[in-house]
Amino acid sequence: MLSVENITVCYGQMKALQGVSLEISQGDMVALIGANGSGKSTLMNVISGMIQAVSGEIIWEGRPLKGLSPDNICQAGIIQVPEGRKLFPGMTVEENIIMGAYHPNVRRQAPESLQKVFSTFPRLADRRRQFAGSLSGGEQQMVALGRALMAKPRLLMLDEPSLGLAPKAAAEIFMIIKELNKEGMTILLVSQEVLETLSITTYGYVLENGIMALKGPSRELRENPKVKTSYLGL
Amino acid sequence: MNKAYPVALAILVILLAAFPCIGPEVYYLSFMFSVFMYVILASSWNFIGGYGGYLSFGHAAFFGIGAFATAKLATMLQLPPMLTMLASIPAGGIAALVALIVGYPCLKIRGPYFSVVTLCFAFVVDLAVKNIEFLGGAEGLWLKFMDIPEKTSRTIMYEVMLLLMVVTLAVSWFLGRSRFGTGLTAIRSDEEVAETMAIPTAKLKIQAFVLSAFFPGVAGGLFAYYLGYIHADAVFSINISILIVLMAMFGGGGTWLGPIIGAVILTVVNEGLSTFAQAEIARIIYGALFIVVTIFMPNGIMDFFRKKGGKT
Ligand SMILES: Nc1ncnc2c1ncn2[C@@H]1O[C@H](COP(=O)(O)OP(=O)(O)OP(=O)(O)O)[C@@H](O)[C@H]1O
Ligand SMILES: [Mg+2]
Repeated sequence: MLSVENITVCYGQMKALQGVSLEISQGDMVALIGANGSGKSTLMNVISGMIQAVSGEIIWEGRPLKGLSPDNICQAGIIQVPEGRKLFPGMTVEENIIMGAYHPNVRRQAPESLQKVFSTFPRLADRRRQFAGSLSGGEQQMVALGRALMAKPRLLMLDEPSLGLAPKAAAEIFMIIKELNKEGMTILLVSQEVLETLSITTYGYVLENGIMALKGPSRELRENPKVKTSYLGL
Repeated sequence: MNKAYPVALAILVILLAAFPCIGPEVYYLSFMFSVFMYVILASSWNFIGGYGGYLSFGHAAFFGIGAFATAKLATMLQLPPMLTMLASIPAGGIAALVALIVGYPCLKIRGPYFSVVTLCFAFVVDLAVKNIEFLGGAEGLWLKFMDIPEKTSRTIMYEVMLLLMVVTLAVSWFLGRSRFGTGLTAIRSDEEVAETMAIPTAKLKIQAFVLSAFFPGVAGGLFAYYLGYIHADAVFSINISILIVLMAMFGGGGTWLGPIIGAVILTVVNEGLSTFAQAEIARIIYGALFIVVTIFMPNGIMDFFRKKGGKT
């Protein structure tokens, strides 16, 4: 469905990614892990078109994404939930979520999509008129997820969805992500909660200083001695 | 949306269009002409300033460009007086083209810096026009009058400006309800978040800026024709730019009705002040009003009273 081939990205002189490749097939949930600054967000931003790669190719459903704007990539079905939630604090919960249906091919179904989002996140339905800025971290993450779902993603890229959340809220978010995948959503998940992430995903990639150091079925990665010492603190 | 609303608006427009039939004095026609004009200026400013949150302090530049372009087109093409009015449409196009060129670099700058840059742009245009002999230089330009009684010509001008106002407000209405408007609102709320959501912010901003320049351009053309004589001071004055911002903010930027209410109230206040008070005092009152509005009604008078009403 998506294949990232040999991507290199530079910020000025610094190489943030070097010859990175990654595969995701339909219905998969793939983990991307790595230390801070290893280039996880950078890889997501390249896929969503926010950053241009110096070299390499990204193929989405058989077609290269090269030259497409973030806007076009979004319409092609790749939706990113960026790191740090990034809501419109001055808008209400409902306004924020509806904003996700901005692109023309999903705009018409917005009312039904909204109902679906509210049934996935009943907590948000109760707070639909509340300003997004006044929500708790966990609720804000739900809004960000709900907004992404409004765009009818075929690939959902989640960048640290549990960042800064208490264990209980994080567990709730992971539950929802798992549920979404069960319903058929293809997901690329970046998270620092390595154990949790590797137990809900099927396949995993490990980035180290911009290089894809390891890859393999999540179950095997969990047993990998290197992963154990570096990321699981065992 | 209430169904009675559009009907009431249609009736209001018809009443306004029929107003000259009851034979009012020319003074009232002229007064209404300037009300319409300021509604156009404030509402078109609102496309980028209100919906998009990019506070331009150079909106009068487009008004002036439209005025001078019309005067120049009319004299160069030797248009008969009636057709001069039509020349204000391509003049609006010229204003929009200037906005495209200027907006490209300027709209990359955010917040107060954008306001300062647009202010400088207005100064530069003003100075340039005053120093270019081709555009009349310090003397200004004359336009040919219609060879008909004043009252008839004023009535025609009144109706044409009313028409332009209706068109501007219709565009503003649809903008507020369109995807385009939604995108602009997202930019106003938080441009970075809008970008992460893959909303094409750069494209939307430039489109809104160009559209917002077209209408003052046409209005400027009509105004030039209305005055019969055009000078840079009459159309490029920084006071006009400030007044436009004040009107839109006073009523409530980012809404459809806000700039209309603001423009109507402030044109009436302005007229009252210039009739009953000296120009200097009028300016002081205006300045004070600007401060009061910014401090106490950051979201405009409509929002202010709605909230008051909500609390009690
Ligand atoms: N806009 C930028 N300009 C310059 N350097 C950047 C920029 N964004 C990221 N970097 C650098 O690129 C490297 C990779 O950053 P990235 O944000 O992709 O890491 P990450 O794996 O997402 O880290 P974290 O887990 O902390 O979110 C870092 O060294 C970072 O400093
Ligand atoms: Mg990151």
